[in-house]
Amino acid sequence: MVQRSRNFAFLPKLVVLVAIAAFFFFVLLPTFYLISYVFLRWGEVQLEVFANPIIGDENWGQILKVLFFSFRLSLSTVAFDLVFGVLLAYVLARKRFPGKSLLEDLVTLPLVIPTSGFGFATLITWTTVGGIGGLLGLNSGLMPLNAIVPIINVPFVLFIVHISLTLPYVVRTLETKFQSIDTTFEIASRTLGASTVTTFRNILLPLAVPGVFSGAVLAFARSLGETGATMIVSGVSSTASIAIVRWASEFKLATASFMGSLLVVIAWVIILPVELYFNRRGGSFKISYQLPPSLSNKIIKMEKFASKSLPRIKDFLPLFIIATTIIVPIVMVLNSVMLYWSADPYTGKAQGGVVYQLFGPSNYFNSILQATSTSIIVALVATYVATCIAIPLAFIIERRRYGGFIRTLLKVPLIIPSSSLGLSVLLLWGPSCFDLINSGIWLIILTHIVFSVPVIVESIIAAYEGSNIQMYEDSARTLGATAYNAIETISLPLIKGGILTGFVLSFTRSLGETGATFIVMGRDMTVPALVVNMVEALAIPAALFTSTYLIFLSMALLAVIRILTRR
Amino acid sequence: MIKLVNVTKKFGAITALDHINLSIDDGEYLCILGQTGAGKTTLLRTIAGLLKPDEGEIYVDGELVNDLPPEQRNAVYMFQQFALFPHMDVWQNVSFSPVIKDWDEDRIKNLTFEILEMVKLAERRDAFPNELSGGMQQRVALARGIASGARILLLDEPLGALDARLRVELRTQLRKLVKDQRLTAVHVTHDQEEALMIADRVVVLRRGKIEQIGTPNEVYLRPQSIFVLSFVGGANFLEGNVVRVSDSGSLIEMQSGLHILVSDRSRSIGERVVVAVRLEEVSVGIEVVNSTNSFSGVVETAMFIGGSMEYGVRLENDVLLFSRILLSDAVRAYKPGERVVVSFNPENCYVFAYPVIGLLKEIEAI
Repeated sequence: MVQRSRNFAFLPKLVVLVAIAAFFFFVLLPTFYLISYVFLRWGEVQLEVFANPIIGDENWGQILKVLFFSFRLSLSTVAFDLVFGVLLAYVLARKRFPGKSLLEDLVTLPLVIPTSGFGFATLITWTTVGGIGGLLGLNSGLMPLNAIVPIINVPFVLFIVHISLTLPYVVRTLETKFQSIDTTFEIASRTLGASTVTTFRNILLPLAVPGVFSGAVLAFARSLGETGATMIVSGVSSTASIAIVRWASEFKLATASFMGSLLVVIAWVIILPVELYFNRRGGSFKISYQLPPSLSNKIIKMEKFASKSLPRIKDFLPLFIIATTIIVPIVMVLNSVMLYWSADPYTGKAQGGVVYQLFGPSNYFNSILQATSTSIIVALVATYVATCIAIPLAFIIERRRYGGFIRTLLKVPLIIPSSSLGLSVLLLWGPSCFDLINSGIWLIILTHIVFSVPVIVESIIAAYEGSNIQMYEDSARTLGATAYNAIETISLPLIKGGILTGFVLSFTRSLGETGATFIVMGRDMTVPALVVNMVEALAIPAALFTSTYLIFLSMALLAVIRILTRR
Repeated sequence: MIKLVNVTKKFGAITALDHINLSIDDGEYLCILGQTGAGKTTLLRTIAGLLKPDEGEIYVDGELVNDLPPEQRNAVYMFQQFALFPHMDVWQNVSFSPVIKDWDEDRIKNLTFEILEMVKLAERRDAFPNELSGGMQQRVALARGIASGARILLLDEPLGALDARLRVELRTQLRKLVKDQRLTAVHVTHDQEEALMIADRVVVLRRGKIEQIGTPNEVYLRPQSIFVLSFVGGANFLEGNVVRVSDSGSLIEMQSGLHILVSDRSRSIGERVVVAVRLEEVSVGIEVVNSTNSFSGVVETAMFIGGSMEYGVRLENDVLLFSRILLSDAVRAYKPGERVVVSFNPENCYVFAYPVIGLLKEIEAI
């Protein structure tokens, strides 16, 4: 017995070593290579960006312009998210009402929905006659594509899309945070005479500050890196992410990688300090501010009044936001597919119908089938490989002293803008470095592994920490199970739910990813990329059909997640 | 036999176990008694092999087991929360160890069934842990431990997760089971009543050190330190100086001139001491019956505690002395404000040197 275990003593160390090596190689290396690429090829960067013989530093001006635009967009999106996300999260965490789980699903939907399809749905809704405009009896869309939101000066549709795609990060994070706060604090505050609003401001919100920050960070990173939907709705304006895609496709690799590194570095500089601060503080945070008593009394009185009249607004407003940003686009795109099914409803031409475009000379149906198989192969392989890396990695994070460090490193791929990610993978594995893999399905898989690993690891860790694994394993050990036995018979079955959830989450994410895929796909097209191409080719009915198809696919997967997490 | 020699375990700056020397006989029921943070659980986990001692040796049956992983120590660790595997039913939980150890299939079946019969849970063999009551879960955990064939049970607050009544009921059952199966049990608890009732020997642990080891009787009647006295049973503590030592005992002067006579003559004149008297040794009456150690005072509090009354009497020197009188022994009841005389026997007084860190610090938790 003793002899046997001694012979295999190196095995755990080997597993740890392989897992960490895979993590560094597949997940971290591309990003670091992207940054080092800029330094390695500094001459090239300088020539293209700062001292082009023909256009001078025009590219640098472009970079600055799109960066400022991106930041304006992302910051205003996060600000909007926070105001409504906090309300919505509060309602979801503290109230019980019929249809609550449906509402939760709706909020989650943008997390799993392929962004290009969703972007197209939003575009239809606001700017075409097939959307709200048509419903209201107008002969055009409700507003032109280039309508600008005043003050923040960003296109309206772009703003809306970014809100719907980032709101879930704020809501889900805060909802979990609110739920983890014991209701006794609120009850105590209420019985001590504070109104609901005062209680919320003084008790719940300060306790939830870490949740507010981490939700905001996730939403900010998502907005900064969003590519799929942005490509479709951005019109003439360009965000940093789509500028990278454009430059990469024009083979201006130096400019693209310089821009990509800038984006990565800025994202880190903003996000990592916040993450580290709250990680170290163990989620506790104290805000001390002192209002003059007269003002404070006034506020409390106002809050008392608001507590009586506010409930309706509080319940109604989030619903309204969800309806306009999520439900309406989906309904509209469905409606449009039906309208366009056999022919263009306005010109009556069969060439403008879904059926013609799918089965006619352009034969989009075939492309959809091909893209579907590419998408599914990519999602399956990438998720499978990522799961194999993620399981040992989650154990390392929980068990080893350096686990916390690895967990922080895992944030790197989570907050890297997706087009920078695609570019980095292309540079690392492609001709400019290893020269192993050319653009195509294998490169897509390598790209998807990068963002799948952290998604699955987080999901496993949540399951791990929620079920007191250490106690069960200790118990099994004293009952005669070896360390390997205990993992096999106790911990893996106990975290099975987490692994499956992570698998499905990462699968849907992979299925819907557009930005990074666009850069590395070569001739192997995935479904979301196909939607972008269709829109660019103005094959609107085909794009409508494919978007609907994508949305339904992801809704089906969402149903799977629900069943898995309910257990 | 389990033997610990100079076992020390540190967590950073905290010394959880400080040179523990202890030997546990086969078939013994040993209780480790201590407050939260005393190092009880650390001690138990170290014996189980879930923690490695920084210093010292652990022997089981004469064999050094320091480097032996938990699965080879034949000592089952039972958690307060029972740690029944939530994804397995009762049968799978109980047969976990035999299956893992790859015993013969028929043997596993018979053994599991037999043990489930013994804990009267054979009918619930298909139930999952979350479908069982706390008491049932505890029985399954015990059954699982016994089925593993382990000779040593390490019980970490095994009754702590149960409600008060069940806890008392199960004490005797637990002991009986251990004795019937001829197991060795190490039982960790912070409940002194539980320890005194269930154990063959009690180890009082404090800040990682053993304060006293002894039978429940010894620990209660001959406490070796102020801490043990206050933690096990509790007492009145009075400060004073030794003023005279004679054949009949020592005379101790309290702060405001009151004198206490104690039988203990081991202290020297002038020494600062603490005199302790158990609450149940202090009697309350209206008149002076015996002139030694009789003090008049006023009843300040009167509390009804189960089958007895507890009085707090303020003496003339402002000391508050507590007395506990069984209702069946009570001559009459006293009301707050009433003038009474309290007295106690010199033989029932314990005398300790005044602690270096101060009396209150010595008694207070952790």
